[in-house]
Amino acid sequence: MAAVVLLIALAVAYVGYKFYAVKIDRQVIEANPKKATPAVMYNDGVDFMPASGSVLFGYQFKSIAALGPIVGPIVAVQWGWLPAFLWLMLGVLFIGWVQDYAAAMMAMRNDGLTMGGLAYKFISPRARGILLAFLYFYLLLIMGAFGAVVAGLLSNPVVPIGLLILTLAGILAGQMTYRWKMDLVMTTIVTVLIALIGIWLGTTGAAQDIVKAINAMAGTGDKHILYNTPYGPMTWPKFFWGIVALAFCYLGSVLPIWRFAQPVNYVSFWFVALGLVGSVLGVFVAALFGTTNVSFQIPAFVTWNQPKLGWLWPMLFVTISCGAISGWHSLVSTAGTARQLEKETDALPVGAGAMFTEAVLATMALIFAATAIAKPDGSILYDAKNMYFLKTGAGGIWMYGMARFLSWIPGISPAMGGAIGAIFLAVMALTVMQLVLRFMRVASAELVGDKIPAFKNPHVGTIVAILFTFLILWTAFWQRIWVLFGGANQLFAGLALLLITIWLASEGRKYAWAFWPAVFMYATTVMALLVVAWKSFVAMGSAKGAAFAFGNAVAGLIGLFLAITAIVLAIDGLKSLAKAKQKAAARAGD
Amino acid sequence: MTEEEKRSFLKRMLQSIQDVIYGMASHDMARQALKTRGSMEHLFILITMGDLLGVPILPPYYSLRLLPYVVPQISTWKRRMLRERDLTDALA
Repeated sequence: MAAVVLLIALAVAYVGYKFYAVKIDRQVIEANPKKATPAVMYNDGVDFMPASGSVLFGYQFKSIAALGPIVGPIVAVQWGWLPAFLWLMLGVLFIGWVQDYAAAMMAMRNDGLTMGGLAYKFISPRARGILLAFLYFYLLLIMGAFGAVVAGLLSNPVVPIGLLILTLAGILAGQMTYRWKMDLVMTTIVTVLIALIGIWLGTTGAAQDIVKAINAMAGTGDKHILYNTPYGPMTWPKFFWGIVALAFCYLGSVLPIWRFAQPVNYVSFWFVALGLVGSVLGVFVAALFGTTNVSFQIPAFVTWNQPKLGWLWPMLFVTISCGAISGWHSLVSTAGTARQLEKETDALPVGAGAMFTEAVLATMALIFAATAIAKPDGSILYDAKNMYFLKTGAGGIWMYGMARFLSWIPGISPAMGGAIGAIFLAVMALTVMQLVLRFMRVASAELVGDKIPAFKNPHVGTIVAILFTFLILWTAFWQRIWVLFGGANQLFAGLALLLITIWLASEGRKYAWAFWPAVFMYATTVMALLVVAWKSFVAMGSAKGAAFAFGNAVAGLIGLFLAITAIVLAIDGLKSLAKAKQKAAARAGD
Repeated sequence: MTEEEKRSFLKRMLQSIQDVIYGMASHDMARQALKTRGSMEHLFILITMGDLLGVPILPPYYSLRLLPYVVPQISTWKRRMLRERDLTDALA
């Protein structure tokens, strides 16, 4: 079954690209390879600079594929694997690629403006201000959601030592490349080898004992409960490793980028590549030779109403964001890719191609989740007696999946495969978290730096953002944060699609293919955020302690704030759309 | 497909794979290096700005010797300096 699902995903990607995306590109957008792009016109040798389509495909894919396409499906199979798979396929086919591709085209045809500038131009100055405030909270939720997953991963004894040695190998890679001016191939071989040995060392008994000792530092074993959050206990290991994860991001945010963030990401890339290729092949090897059980153990359909998360609509559609559609991609498409596209016709393989590829990655995560509900040692991953409730962190499911599907490669033991999977996931999350933290630092300096000069200091802006992240990380249940993050993420996608619609209307082009996805995303995500806010406020009333009430209050207020700002933006956006249509009609009449 | 065409196809294919790997692994590093170089250029141009405008600030001997290195960068420098920026630019 797993191989069939993967083949269907590949077929959908091919058909969607070949017969829908290409048609829109040729007939509606009319991409013209001879038209000068901003990368060529405004080549400033830094931000605007042409690069080849293949390079940008790699850049775009690496920038959009983080935890979203992996964690979303793992959580969403609690409604059944079929609804999750259908949303992945229909989402990417009718909405996901539309946003990624059209956002890049819109930016390219508007002098390389990014989302803030585009909102200012197509809607109003107020829209830009609201969008930036929305963005800050959205990024905060990314920090909280990703941080929660990384903290869970690091509390696994086989992970931290490997990640530490990989980080040191990354720092060495930076030193070898930038200071010692050594050959990149040699640097890659040496540092990847060190990291690989480090990951293996992390799986040995002695290394695990060190981590177990840290996990037991609070005194009563590695499940020591510090306090209760809205949906469960906050254990010492998660609390502690959350601090470690954010310390890592702090270094990535304040150190020179060549010293830490870039080289660590570079060394990690090879593990991500190994993991991806190895596990895709692993699914087919397992299907053909039976090396791993690939029959689906979660039913195709479980329930319309998942007790812990809510109704299938709207909650499933925000639980799976990346892989189907994600607002983050519009930021990458406009601020990064659109300024580097050499030809207009490259936008399709880069924007749409990378999105379809990401949907295949999300399908992999779905397969990992649906094919294992319990480990051989008896520990339960999805509780079949309790509506297939996810009993562990999403990272644990991914680790176990990698352990199973990489085991066909000679020399990779299940423990090693699991460690590679965990580091794969942690690194993907930390890469985005470092970028987000850097941005939050810059944003706070820009927004409040004049009134509070302390925020112009990079350490102050970073520490404030980290404290906000801790607030979310330590007071809320990670699946709730994930849904909130998904809601904000999808809402941002709705905003991007609204901007695209206004742009298309202003140019007198067909816009229904962007407008209806925008309407769907808006309605779904605003409803999801309101449901989350409502549930949180209701839960606040139950007398289960201050941390419980506080966690719910934070989740509720964030959900409500995002929903209200989105509604204001939608009203402004629809007014702008009407004006754009009038202007285009007047032009056509002239 | 002739042998020649087959070879050319394989060559293009290999090049594309190399480019994709480069795009995923190193393109960001290259962009960051360019950003650093851009910042250095800004300082460099500031040093020689007086002579560019005809108002010498440094002893002219040194700045005139530096001018040939500055002139090729002026067009891209102008674009960088004069471009309107938005906060969301910082995300890539």
